[in-house]
Amino acid sequence: MFARSVAAIPEIGQITLRQLLGRRRTILLLLLSAVPVLLAVVFWAARVADVSGFASGVLDAVGVTLLLPIVAVLFGTAAFGAEIEDGTVIYLLAKPISRWAVVVAKLIGATGMTAFLTIASVFVSGAIVLAPLGEDGAAATRAFVAAMAVGSICYVSLFLVLSLFTRRALLIGLVYVLVWEGALSSLLPGIANLSIRQYSLGVANAFWQMKSNEAHLSPSTALPLAVILVVVTFFIATWRLTRFELPGGTD
Amino acid sequence: MTAQIAPDPAPDQNAVAPSPGPSAPTIELVDAARWYGNVVAVNDVSFSLGPGVTGLLGPNGAGKTTLLHMLAGFLVPSAGTVLVMGRSPSRDPSVYRQIGLVPERESVYPFLTGFEYVRFNARLQGLHNADLASRDAIHRVGLDDAMDRPIGTYSKGMRQRAKVAGALVHDPQILLLDEPFNGMDPRQRMAMMDLLGQMAAAGRTILFSSHILEEVERVGTEILVMVAGRLAASGDYRAIRALMTDRPHMITIRSSDDRRLATALMADPAVFAVELGKDLLSVRTAHLSTFRRLIAGASRSAGVRLFEVVSADESLESVFDYLVRR
Amino acid sequence: MSAQNRAAVPAGNIYDLGYRHYEGKRHGRWYAAWSLYVESVRSVWGFGRPMTAKAAPFILLGLYAFPALIQIAFSSAISQSVAEGQATGLFAYDNYYARVSILVVLFCVAQAPELVCRDQRYHVLPLYFTRALGRIDYAFARLAALATALFIVLAVPMIAIFIGDVLMKPDTLQAVGDEWPRALPAIPACALAAVSLASISLALSAFSPRRAYAAIGLIAYFLLMEIVPVVIYSVGRQADWTWADKLALLTPNTALAAATDWFFGVGLVTQGAEGLPPTLGSDAYVVAVLASVVVFVGILLFRYRRVQA
Repeated sequence: MFARSVAAIPEIGQITLRQLLGRRRTILLLLLSAVPVLLAVVFWAARVADVSGFASGVLDAVGVTLLLPIVAVLFGTAAFGAEIEDGTVIYLLAKPISRWAVVVAKLIGATGMTAFLTIASVFVSGAIVLAPLGEDGAAATRAFVAAMAVGSICYVSLFLVLSLFTRRALLIGLVYVLVWEGALSSLLPGIANLSIRQYSLGVANAFWQMKSNEAHLSPSTALPLAVILVVVTFFIATWRLTRFELPGGTD
Repeated sequence: MTAQIAPDPAPDQNAVAPSPGPSAPTIELVDAARWYGNVVAVNDVSFSLGPGVTGLLGPNGAGKTTLLHMLAGFLVPSAGTVLVMGRSPSRDPSVYRQIGLVPERESVYPFLTGFEYVRFNARLQGLHNADLASRDAIHRVGLDDAMDRPIGTYSKGMRQRAKVAGALVHDPQILLLDEPFNGMDPRQRMAMMDLLGQMAAAGRTILFSSHILEEVERVGTEILVMVAGRLAASGDYRAIRALMTDRPHMITIRSSDDRRLATALMADPAVFAVELGKDLLSVRTAHLSTFRRLIAGASRSAGVRLFEVVSADESLESVFDYLVRR
Repeated sequence: MSAQNRAAVPAGNIYDLGYRHYEGKRHGRWYAAWSLYVESVRSVWGFGRPMTAKAAPFILLGLYAFPALIQIAFSSAISQSVAEGQATGLFAYDNYYARVSILVVLFCVAQAPELVCRDQRYHVLPLYFTRALGRIDYAFARLAALATALFIVLAVPMIAIFIGDVLMKPDTLQAVGDEWPRALPAIPACALAAVSLASISLALSAFSPRRAYAAIGLIAYFLLMEIVPVVIYSVGRQADWTWADKLALLTPNTALAAATDWFFGVGLVTQGAEGLPPTLGSDAYVVAVLASVVVFVGILLFRYRRVQA
C-alpha cells in the first residue's frame, strides 16, 4: 500500500490544483498579489532609493502581513473545505491509500499555489525596485522570498488542520491572523514564539537584516519552530483524517 | 414514529438468512450499534451477507445510510463489530481495494470529465491499466457518448451512472450503493438493475438501499428491513411473508361460482373470512400452505372451476407495510 | 383491498376545507420595506437565531465600548487628575473612534456578510423580489439596518463617556447642561461613520454568496486601503508629487476618523497622525466620506439590480 499511496500523491495533487484554480477567487487573489507590484511601480516611478523603506513598508506590511495570510487562508481552508462540505471527500478516503498521502497531496497543492502567488509577487516587486539598488536590495528580495516560502507552508499547514476540525476554519483563521498575530503581538512580545509571521520574518533576517524592529526572532529560533509547527500539524491532520466520520445524514 | 416492539433480538433470528456461499461471508455485522449522544441510529444489528444482491429497505430515518457508512468504514460502530472481507474497514484502508462505494449525495468534481473522473478513481485504486479499465467501466454504465464532457454538464441520472462507473472500475468484490436509482429514468434504472444482476451472478456481494419497493422487488428477493435503527427482518421476502403468521394471508380467487366456493371454503377452520365482491372472491387464511391443499379439494367437491388464484399480499409492499407498522 | 376498489367512484369532487381568500387591507411597499428593515436589524444582533449568532455582535460591541466603560469605573481616580489638569490620555468624544476603530471594522466584517450573503447562497431572493418589495427597497432596507446597528455600536461608548463625565462632577443637573453641547457633535459624527461603514461593507459583501469569502474581501479592502494610499503618499512626498496628497482621502477608516475631527472642530487626526498630509483639512475628509457613501451605495444598488434572482 505504501507504493500505491506514494503514487497517489501526484494524482490527488493535480485534482487539488484544479479545484483551487478556476474560480472567481483566483482572479481576486491575482489582483491582491498585484498590489505589492503596483506599489513597486510607484516606488520606481518616484525614483525613491530606499531599500529599507520599501522592505518594511511594502514587502512586510503589505506582503507578509496581509497578502500572505489571506492567500494562505483561502487556499489552505479550501484544500479540504469544499470537499468536506459537499461530501466528495468520500471519494478520496474510500481508496486503499494511507491517509498521510492524502494530507501530503493536499498540502503540496495548497502550499504550491500560495507560495507561487506570494513569491512571484515579492520577486517581481523586488525586481522592479530593489534589484537596481545593488546587493542590499537583492539581499532584501531574497530575504522576503524566503519569508514567503516559510510562511506559505506554515500558514497552509495550520489552516489545513483547522479545516479538518471545523467548518468555520476560514473565519477562525482570520481571527488568528488579525487578533493573535496583529493586535496581541504588539501588546505581548512573548507571543512572537507562536506567531507564523515572526517565523517568516525571522527566516528573512538570515538573508538580510531588517532595520525596523518588527522581527523579534532570530533565524536559528524561527526556522526550527516553523519546522516543528509543520510536522505537528501534519501529524494532527493525518490522525484526524484516519478518524474521519461522515454522519448518517437525513437517511 | 413506529413503535417498535422487537421480535426476539437474538442474533440468529429465525429468519432465512441469505446463503453465504462456500467461503466465509463477505460482510458480517455482529451486534453493531451506533449512537450520537442520546439518539441511537443503529441498534443491535446483526447479519451476514455473501454473493448476490441484497436490498436494504426502511423508511426515512431508519438508519440505512448510517449502516452503509458503517460498512464503508466512515463511521466507527459504538458497539459491536463490522467486518468486511474479514477486516474492519474503519481501521484498515487496504480493504477499499475490494469495496466500491456509491454514496447518496450527488456532487462529484464538476470540472472533471466523466472519463477523467473514473480514471482518477482507477488510478487511486492502483490499477495499472487505468485507462482501459475506465473505458470499460464507462461502457458498462452506458456513458460512452458523454464521457468527454465535464460532469457539471451531466443530468442527475448521468451523474449517478458516473459515480457507479467510478465505484466498479476496479472490479470490487463488494458494492455498496446508497439510493442508486435516484434520479434515473425507467430505462436507465432497468439497465442499472441488469448490471447489478450481472455482477451478482459473477459472485459479487451487492448491497443497495432504497425506499422504492418496486426497484427492490425487481432486482432480487433478498432483503434487509430496518425500522427505527433495528433490523426488522432479513432474508427472502416471500419466506418472511410466510413467517408473518399473526397476519392472515389474503387470497383472491376468480371462479365459475364464487358463492358456492365461498360456502365450501367457510366450512374449513383454516379459513376465517371470505368476502364476495364483484366477480371476485377474497379469502383470508392464517395458513397459506394448508389453504393451498384445501382449495384444490374444495373446488372439486363443490363442482366449481377455478380461473385464477392469486396471493394478494405477497408483494414486498405488504411485507414492508407489516414490518414497519409493527 | 382489491375487491373494494372495483366499485365505481363518482367523477370528481372539490371539498371546502375552510380556506378563505384574503380580502382585507394590504399594506404596501413601505410596510414591506419597514418589515425587512426591522428583521435585518434583529438579525444583525442575532435575535431570532441561536445563541451563537449573538456572540459575535455582542462581544464586539462590548469590546468596542470597553475602554469607555472602564473609564466610568475609574472615574473617581480620573477626576482627580482631571482637576489637576493631567488628563491627556483620556477617551473623549472626539478621539474615541480614531483609537478603537478596528473593532467597529471587525463588527462590519462579521455581520455584513450575515445580512446579504445568505439570501444569495440559498437562492431565496426571488421570494423577496416577487412581492411588493423591489430590488432597490431590499438594498436600502438592509443598508439602513446595518447603519442603525452600527450607530448603536458607535453611540454606546459616547453615552458611556457622557455618563462618566457627568458623574465626575458634583452637581448632576448642571453637569448635564454643561456636558450636552460637548457631546452633541458626536451624534452626526457617529451617524456619518455608521452610514459610511455600512455602505462599504454591504456593497462589497453583496458580491459573494459565501459569507467567509465576503468577510475576507472586506478585510482585504479595509486593511489594504488603509496602507496603500499612505505608502504611496509617503513615497510621493519624497518625490515631490503634489497630487499624492489627495490619496489619503481614499482610506476608509482614517478618512472617517479625520472627518470626525470636523464635527468637533479639532485637528486630532489630521494634524496628529503621521503619514497624513498636512494640506488637507478635515472638511476635505468629510466631503470624501460623503462621496464614498454615494459611490458605495451606487455599487450596492448596481449589484442588486443585476443579481440573478
